[in-house]
Amino acid sequence: MIEINGKDIGDLTTLNYEKMKSDLLTLNMGPQHPATHGVLRVEIKTDSEIIAEATPYIGYLHRCFEKHAEKIDYRGVIPFVDRMDYLGAMGMEWGYALTVEKMLGTEVPRRAQYIRTIVGELQRIASHLLFYGVYAIDLGAFSPFLYAFDEREKVLRLFEELSGARLLYNYIWIGGVWNDITDDQLRRITKFVDNLEEEVKTYHKLVGENKIFIERTANVAVISEEMAYQYGATGPILRASGVDWDLRKKRPYGIYEELDFDVPLGKGEKGQVGDCWDRYHVRVQEINESIKILRQCLDGIEEGSIMGKVPKVLKVPEGEIYLRTECPRGELGYHLVSDGGKTPYRLKIKSSCFTHVSMLPELAPGQMIADFVATIGSIDIVLGEVDR
Amino acid sequence: MLKDIASFLNSKVSGCQAEAYEAEVGDGHVHFAGEHLFACAKALKESSEYDMNVLQVVSGVDYPERIEVNYMLASFTKNTEFILKVKLPKKNSDDVPEVESVCSLWKSANFLERETYDMVGVKFNNHPDHRRILCPEDWEGYPLRRDYVVQKEWAGMEVNPAHKVNSGDQNFFKEVVEKMGGDKKKVTYSWKSDAEA
Repeated sequence: MIEINGKDIGDLTTLNYEKMKSDLLTLNMGPQHPATHGVLRVEIKTDSEIIAEATPYIGYLHRCFEKHAEKIDYRGVIPFVDRMDYLGAMGMEWGYALTVEKMLGTEVPRRAQYIRTIVGELQRIASHLLFYGVYAIDLGAFSPFLYAFDEREKVLRLFEELSGARLLYNYIWIGGVWNDITDDQLRRITKFVDNLEEEVKTYHKLVGENKIFIERTANVAVISEEMAYQYGATGPILRASGVDWDLRKKRPYGIYEELDFDVPLGKGEKGQVGDCWDRYHVRVQEINESIKILRQCLDGIEEGSIMGKVPKVLKVPEGEIYLRTECPRGELGYHLVSDGGKTPYRLKIKSSCFTHVSMLPELAPGQMIADFVATIGSIDIVLGEVDR
Repeated sequence: MLKDIASFLNSKVSGCQAEAYEAEVGDGHVHFAGEHLFACAKALKESSEYDMNVLQVVSGVDYPERIEVNYMLASFTKNTEFILKVKLPKKNSDDVPEVESVCSLWKSANFLERETYDMVGVKFNNHPDHRRILCPEDWEGYPLRRDYVVQKEWAGMEVNPAHKVNSGDQNFFKEVVEKMGGDKKKVTYSWKSDAEA
């Protein structure tokens, strides 16, 4: 007979986990933990290495942009929405501009539509490259980060030329875009895209096919289709669970209807459908799809104006609208309520990261702490968007 | 589609008096009284015709007399979405209206309802974990109410202390207004001259 913590656990032949359970230890992971990608705090109750319970605490980056938006005119809101997902700011601006344009009935010129698609897809590439690098760091590999940031830097340089800023652009405006793109820049994007296509293959070989990486991610934190629906998961996470859902295909906006691309889905190649490896793989494949879209845009871009007709003083007609777009991290929705004035009456922002964080309490129990790090990394949250 | 949903709800839930509102600009919605929310949401989720399997977001909007809670429902199998709206009357400005939680239908409602409670001040009955989410536990008031006034002090700290307020911008604006002869309308916030714009 063996006793642990005053409990009789039987003899050694009948040892099992249920009997060996000890008192739970409460551990704070974050808000300054490097693996939480920002200021997320997760209170985990662990039994030695195994997590019994996890409770996320958010709000450390809460700036209440929704309240700010009620005091600022429609054009002034754009720099604020930039600061939500600071790694995918073009997507944030685009969604907001589309929402207001739809209420106003503004027609956006073709050239501006093309430029928006180009910068939107470049942003998706930059965001996924960052995910690739940071996820590898989470799991203990340092060099992929350097490769990914090398390429990402090229995108940021281009955005800096276009808009004057590296991360927070204020580039997509209501009615069009702020600055025209030059032929030289287009040529450089072509070159970048050609180079990246080869690079991505190397990247995937380096990390995705790595034995250690597969062991760490396959069959970890499996999100089933039903669970993804229950939690309202969107974007790469939903697609990794095998659901063919991409707003660019299902509810096309901009010029996506005319473009030809595929929607990569999780197939459970290394484990089960919807595990961490699938989420990683979907994102890497999406880089390839973005390259496909970019090539078509670069071929098809038309000459013309970059700004539609928008009144100098914006007054949005009374009513409400809910519009969503496909951002790098998932669906972004804006619920805009207008009372006919110069400022929004209410601007509610649906952030995909916010709903994804709410999955953690269900994913964590039973995991090792190291697997939990892999889980947080694989859902790719940006705390700026979670807290807004 | 909204009219079909309204008549479907009226047939499934007796006495809910759901009405469809088709908007000229933007999106329409289906609205009914708050006490029928859970029954209606359940009917929509379980019907094979509509199959509303995803709750995307819960959005509370504060008006002087009422609070509207919007549920953006979507069906990812049928590719449809619409706004479900309940209007909760508010007796006075401090009143916190109550409505039934839909957490048992969609798990995403857990965080979304907590956020609505935190920001707009709506109590969700039978919520499994009814706490504030973005603001601290002991924060006073609901920031996204229209008449919200921020508290002076929190946890022994002054909120918005004078030396942390960006007074440079405000002083600059005042200066420019003075230069323009006191006419605020002449300050355009733009570096472009009128001819360019």
